[in-house]
Amino acid sequence: MTEKQQNNMMPSLELINEVQQFLYREARHHDNEEFRDWLDMLTEDIHYWMPYRYQRYRRNEKEPTIYDTAYYNDDMECLKKRILRTETGTCWSEDPATRSAHVVTNIEVEFTDKPDEFRVYSLNTVHRNINEDEEHTMIGHRTDILRRVNGVLKLAKRKIILDQNIFTNKSLNVYL
Amino acid sequence: MSNNKGSRPDYSRYMDTKEGWVDRRIFWEREIYEQELEQIFAKAWQFIAHDSMLPETNDFYTTYMGEDGVIASRQKDGSVRVFLNSCTHRGNKICYADDGNTRNFTCNYHGWAFGTDGELKGLSNEHVYDEGDIDKSKWGLQQARVDSYKGLIFATFDEEAPSLEEFLGDFRWYLDIMLDQDDGGTEFIGGGIKNYVNANWKFGVENFVGDAYHALWTHDSGFKAMNNNQGFPPADPTGSYHASVNGHGWEFGTDGLADIAILGQPKVLEYYEKMRPKMAERLGEMRSKIFGSLASVSLFPNCSFLPGIQTFRVWLPRGPHKFEMRMWTIVNKNMPDEIKQAINIGCMQTFNPAGVLEMDDGENWEGNTSVNKGVVTRKGKLHYGCGKNRRIEHEELPGIVYSSQFNDSNQRLFYQRWADMMNADKWSDVPTRYTPRYAGKKTV
Repeated sequence: MTEKQQNNMMPSLELINEVQQFLYREARHHDNEEFRDWLDMLTEDIHYWMPYRYQRYRRNEKEPTIYDTAYYNDDMECLKKRILRTETGTCWSEDPATRSAHVVTNIEVEFTDKPDEFRVYSLNTVHRNINEDEEHTMIGHRTDILRRVNGVLKLAKRKIILDQNIFTNKSLNVYL
Repeated sequence: MSNNKGSRPDYSRYMDTKEGWVDRRIFWEREIYEQELEQIFAKAWQFIAHDSMLPETNDFYTTYMGEDGVIASRQKDGSVRVFLNSCTHRGNKICYADDGNTRNFTCNYHGWAFGTDGELKGLSNEHVYDEGDIDKSKWGLQQARVDSYKGLIFATFDEEAPSLEEFLGDFRWYLDIMLDQDDGGTEFIGGGIKNYVNANWKFGVENFVGDAYHALWTHDSGFKAMNNNQGFPPADPTGSYHASVNGHGWEFGTDGLADIAILGQPKVLEYYEKMRPKMAERLGEMRSKIFGSLASVSLFPNCSFLPGIQTFRVWLPRGPHKFEMRMWTIVNKNMPDEIKQAINIGCMQTFNPAGVLEMDDGENWEGNTSVNKGVVTRKGKLHYGCGKNRRIEHEELPGIVYSSQFNDSNQRLFYQRWADMMNADKWSDVPTRYTPRYAGKKTV
């Protein structure tokens, strides 16, 4: 499909609404630590990727690759391991629990070359409150591929670009 | 050790390494922190970068020695220079990028231009200066002494400091386990992660210098996640050690397996099992079995790594209650790409702010630090007495060796070195507390 054709084909309000509802549901599962429910929203071949971020001169800028350092560079098996950690009963730093609000905005839906896959841009602003009074805000610019599997949308790919050069928190225990 | 400078307290009073305690104030007080910048970070050799981070001429990397910003820059002749990242005119930073390649460093303020060798080359609108106003050859950037050990670049601003070889001492015997286990040496995976932790920098360093103990408890959940829900085996003090040289420390077992297993990458285990006979031929049986066991390492003052898991990091001080962690993944250059990537994935999944092991450390260290805002709390001591009577002489292991990796010995000796440097007026006042076996000798 050429770019011009794509531009002529605006996604329907119905599709946009379906995608938005998908992203909001995902955010709610994260807020509520319903991680197994979240895993059900992902395809088996999920790639969940948040590459490192360095500050470089414009002339030296380069795109990170999956062979570089990353916060996340996960397949389904990796993600399941992360979830398992929180279910062991010995995850001391998560007890008391983290309080978080995942705010998803700036949602755009695009068609791709594949009729069952959609490219979705969004901005995920996560407010995290932990311990007595520690408040952190983290922002991820997301580019997703959502795939329709047996009539249901699932997340197949996610690339998250962090705004921060030095990540200003001790831990990233929420999903951007 | 006493010192005769009236203005400085005797820092050995902040601990008793025989009884096994450390005063909490060294993790909190601003005056002590300022002395650390003077006495340790302006004097000791510090890790700057890995050779592989600046492979080409004019490649650069910016970092800090203490709170002094520096630029490491690859020269035409292949050497590396390290100089202050501050213009000699009004002081602005001359480089705001983390890394890259450049022909010069030009200050944004007035356009003073420095070469990649740190020398002042030109001024913008130079005609505003009269002849005799400035001798450019005298206004270059202050250079540090630079040396390297098997791919690791170090620098110090102290002309009086001993050679890097002497500073590392017999710890080179241990470093070779990581840096010289294979032809071709090591390299870092591309990019890196940096994050802030609101904790005193020493809590990070001392954790890696000797604290195998915390792994069993703090990391139970992370270990289970990586290991099919199986926890650590019970602490086995046999066949494991603490070894300390000049404040550098390595705690380790000798099963050759446990840390590699934490990566959760079976093909990496297989790779090392195949490599182990070659490693043994190169480094001897003992060192080939140390690699990959449950282990952690710190170089005094602020560089650490985990052999087997392959995370490599520095703890840059940002005030008494905050540090910046910079982390990379280190691999052997000659590994197949598939193994490098498996290590990259496994290492990042465990050790970075989102890693299933690392996530639990920062919380602890921030707690260790912040409680000391309480004046009553701060007056207390912290217990460092584990294994105080386990010192041994070991035929093969150099340095000050204690049996059992579940021990506070390396931590005590790290703080001993800290006090020695805090008290010393000059390098010759810093005592060597171990008996070198490899002075002037190669360790492979």
